[in-house]
Amino acid sequence: MAAPTKTLSVADQLDQLQAARKLALTTPVYYEKIVKGVLPIIGPTAPIELRRWGAEFLAESLATPVLAKNEKESLTIAVLDTIKALLESGDDDPIVLKASIGAAASAYPIVVRWIIFNSYHPDPWEQMSAIKSRVFRIWDTAPPPVKLACIKFAQRIVLAQTVSNGQEARLYPGLDVSLGMITGSHPILDPRRMEAEATGLLDRMLGVLQDNSSDALLVDGTLNCLSILIRTRPSTSNRIINCILNFNPLKLANSPMTPKTKVLVKSMEKTTRMLLIHIIKRDPNFQPGAPGSQQLGRIQQYIQRLERSKTEIFDEAGRKRALADQSSAQYGDTKRQRTETPAAVAVTIPPLGPGPHRYSALYTITNNAGLQSFDATQVPHQLATRIVVKTLSSISQGVLDFAIAGIRDRLKTFQPAPTPSFAGAPPPGAINPATAPLGVEEGDDDYEPNFNAAEDTEQILNKLDNAPPEVPLDHTEALDLGPFTLPSPPLLDPDTAIRLAQAAASRLFGPLSSLKEEGSRKPRAGINRLAASSYDRESWLTVVTRLATRSTAGLESNFKKEETGRLALNDTLREMLFVYILEDWRRRIEVAVAWLCEEWYNDQLIKLSGSGAPLNYEKYALRLIDGFLNYITPQDKVLTRFLAEIPELSRELLGKCKTLCGDPTTVNLTLTSMLYLVMMRPPVRAIALDTVAEIWQEYVDARPLAAKYLTKWRPGFIESQTIGQSSAAASA
Amino acid sequence: MDAAADGGATASTTEVSSPSTTAVASTSTTAAASSGPSTSESASASTSASASLSTPPPNNGHREDPGGFKLKFCTVCASNQNRSMESHLRLALANYPVISFGTGSLVRLPGPTIQQPNVYKFNETSYDSIYRELDAKDPRLYRANGLLNMLGRNRNIKWGPERWQDWQIGMPRTKQQNDKGSEGMEAGVADVVITCEERCWDAVIDDLLNRGSPLNRAVHVINIDIKDNHEEASVGGRAIVDLADSLNKLAVEEREKTGASVFDAGSGREGFDERVPEVLGEWQERWPNLPATWTLAWF
Repeated sequence: MAAPTKTLSVADQLDQLQAARKLALTTPVYYEKIVKGVLPIIGPTAPIELRRWGAEFLAESLATPVLAKNEKESLTIAVLDTIKALLESGDDDPIVLKASIGAAASAYPIVVRWIIFNSYHPDPWEQMSAIKSRVFRIWDTAPPPVKLACIKFAQRIVLAQTVSNGQEARLYPGLDVSLGMITGSHPILDPRRMEAEATGLLDRMLGVLQDNSSDALLVDGTLNCLSILIRTRPSTSNRIINCILNFNPLKLANSPMTPKTKVLVKSMEKTTRMLLIHIIKRDPNFQPGAPGSQQLGRIQQYIQRLERSKTEIFDEAGRKRALADQSSAQYGDTKRQRTETPAAVAVTIPPLGPGPHRYSALYTITNNAGLQSFDATQVPHQLATRIVVKTLSSISQGVLDFAIAGIRDRLKTFQPAPTPSFAGAPPPGAINPATAPLGVEEGDDDYEPNFNAAEDTEQILNKLDNAPPEVPLDHTEALDLGPFTLPSPPLLDPDTAIRLAQAAASRLFGPLSSLKEEGSRKPRAGINRLAASSYDRESWLTVVTRLATRSTAGLESNFKKEETGRLALNDTLREMLFVYILEDWRRRIEVAVAWLCEEWYNDQLIKLSGSGAPLNYEKYALRLIDGFLNYITPQDKVLTRFLAEIPELSRELLGKCKTLCGDPTTVNLTLTSMLYLVMMRPPVRAIALDTVAEIWQEYVDARPLAAKYLTKWRPGFIESQTIGQSSAAASA
Repeated sequence: MDAAADGGATASTTEVSSPSTTAVASTSTTAAASSGPSTSESASASTSASASLSTPPPNNGHREDPGGFKLKFCTVCASNQNRSMESHLRLALANYPVISFGTGSLVRLPGPTIQQPNVYKFNETSYDSIYRELDAKDPRLYRANGLLNMLGRNRNIKWGPERWQDWQIGMPRTKQQNDKGSEGMEAGVADVVITCEERCWDAVIDDLLNRGSPLNRAVHVINIDIKDNHEEASVGGRAIVDLADSLNKLAVEEREKTGASVFDAGSGREGFDERVPEVLGEWQERWPNLPATWTLAWF
């Protein structure tokens, strides 16, 4: 097996290693085996490609979150020697160094914890110490990417060798090794020396900030690993914060701004600001009232100062959207240009140039751009009147005459040489009347990415800008000031009218679903109540019922003659009202009563007028009763109420109720309703009693109760029935 | 401006088949600057227009895989739907390992009105289920505003929107083998994170600071401000591929240097990390309408 491995090319070996790595990633159980297996292949004498791969694989393996603490421990101890060898392998390849130092950073806290509990076996600690001193040796002279790794390595040492406030233990598993774990009597580790080393290292890390370095890579790298130290290592936080507050990330801005320096300055400024904002936001020590709160004010001031200076530095260059005026001045931004009327001069009133103009442009005689864009129609009428009167009284006659003459001249120039009416888009460069009223500049700031709108307001406005005007104005005609008549609307043919009527009717029902039902019964205003005075459901229903019953009152006769077989507007409304009530008839019985009252009233009016229009009350009362009769249950007292409240009762209607007695459960309800009518509505007492009598005759089940009522209210009836069976048929 | 002439020449060929695409984009910027008063389009719109004119995407953005070293990318936007997915797809088509995330609390898509967005949970809703739901709700509306088209694209890229804050950095992603751009992404870490909005960049940095950098791995976090609509996402996606190509070129160069000592200062043998700002600065000159921010953070 050994011979063929030797002859394998580097590329083939890499392929094999890659396959092994994939196996480890898929099945973490094999991690340790595979890592230990590749160690001989990636050793310090291996080709550079293999060492790079190996160092990166080690860094990845020691950092992976899939392995548990103890699995990682044995893995770490096993690879220390290789890491050390890679760091010391002659040619100092930055990629190998960078990855090896990264691996060492991950290994450091694990080794510290291991040695705390296994002090009898000092080898790993010695290897780690060798790695440490090697890293510190190359730190200063290494190229920036390696330096970056050194900074991170130092950060992990500081983290492991300072006292924790215990917050990271639950939040950040794996970052919890700290000085507190080391006892003073440890045979190898001396807590005091370790803390001193940590302090020294922190100083060395912060050196890049203290020197006000312009190396953004190192500055960012340092700043971005300080957060956890500030938050979880109280002994470091003051020192770090002070150091940051004395750091000026914008120093580089004084040098000439190349694209690269712009990136660097922006990056350092933003990174510093982000870290401080993060600390204020997340660190409980820097909340108001906490021990660090005296720093809070300083930090906030620093952030504000930074933001201000940044704005100043990047004002023209960096700001995403400059003011519309500036951008049009500097970049010739055609879109955001204000459409200035070329004819506006204060004292002299030159004629307007050729091309389409707005009326406002015609009468605009100021050259102040701000005033030109002012929309006078926004001013309330009263105010406008007062301004005009005041102005007219104070203006000198000469100026007024001059202005009138100027406008008149403008008009004259248009009359002899009318510009041809333009169709479609205006020529380029011309003032597009469609653009003027749209507040394009303001729309820009409305961009709200939260909504992920596919098109923001601005883009829609842009499209509108470019669209041809919806109504091409004929300007010669418009400026003629000739008589103007509205074109007569197209004739409505009956079909369209019906269709529109139906649409209108259905819209009437739209608000009902959204209007709320008043929860508590308001005291009725009685006769003083104005129909539809408040915008609630009840008033709206009043409107609907009146429209249904009376909207075409007096017109029915002519209308019906032409439109037989079709539903007129009010019939459509009636149908919809009918459906609406039946949808939930128990609760809407009130609506039914109100509607029938209106119908009845309307019928009376029709009878008075003698127009012979069809009557609706009886028809709809019967339909309603038919509609809900099938659904009546013994509990539905609404039937009694309905019969009692509708304005007129007929034999036919009560006859329909009679059928309810076919069901033994509703006998009681029906007869009680009848009794109520007999007692409370004398005008219909006779027909109600007739109905009861009919019930007595037709429904045997209902006889006992009916008999009881009849004996009371129509004495002698039953006797006459039982005695003269033969005459019963005649009386029925 | 020789870049313009250069760009004009490149424009007649293709953007993606040439290894270096630096000159191409400058065409668009020059065109935008010189568009003059004859057009009423906005500067950014004309950029997109001329950029799309000058760089027709050949083969739908696909290109031959040259092999070799590849940087691993991660794209981030608010909802992991439009901008991050557009660039996810483009980077994947350019054969880069890529994953994508959203930093919002929820996936928000426009609804019938601005007050009624369609809202979904991250990591639990698939693009396919969102697609089917919207298709059932109002196919006409969601086809017209491009949502269905976008979701149809997304469901062919990966399963569903993922949230940045829930991402376990370094967890092997071996189960996502069918995702576009998953090859090379098995270890679940990226070299470069590209966010598409300043808010997302802030969220990413804040989250990384919060995590406490347990992996000891440096990562470049770059924000590119892209407006959240389909057109701008497309322009932004092209710009991101341009940036990815430039960055990858650096990384490949770094890998090719072997042997000689790198400790000689000023030998021109600068590493990848330190050259990122320079490359980003050059990129910014080519894409002036997409403001960029960069920092070096830690996983």
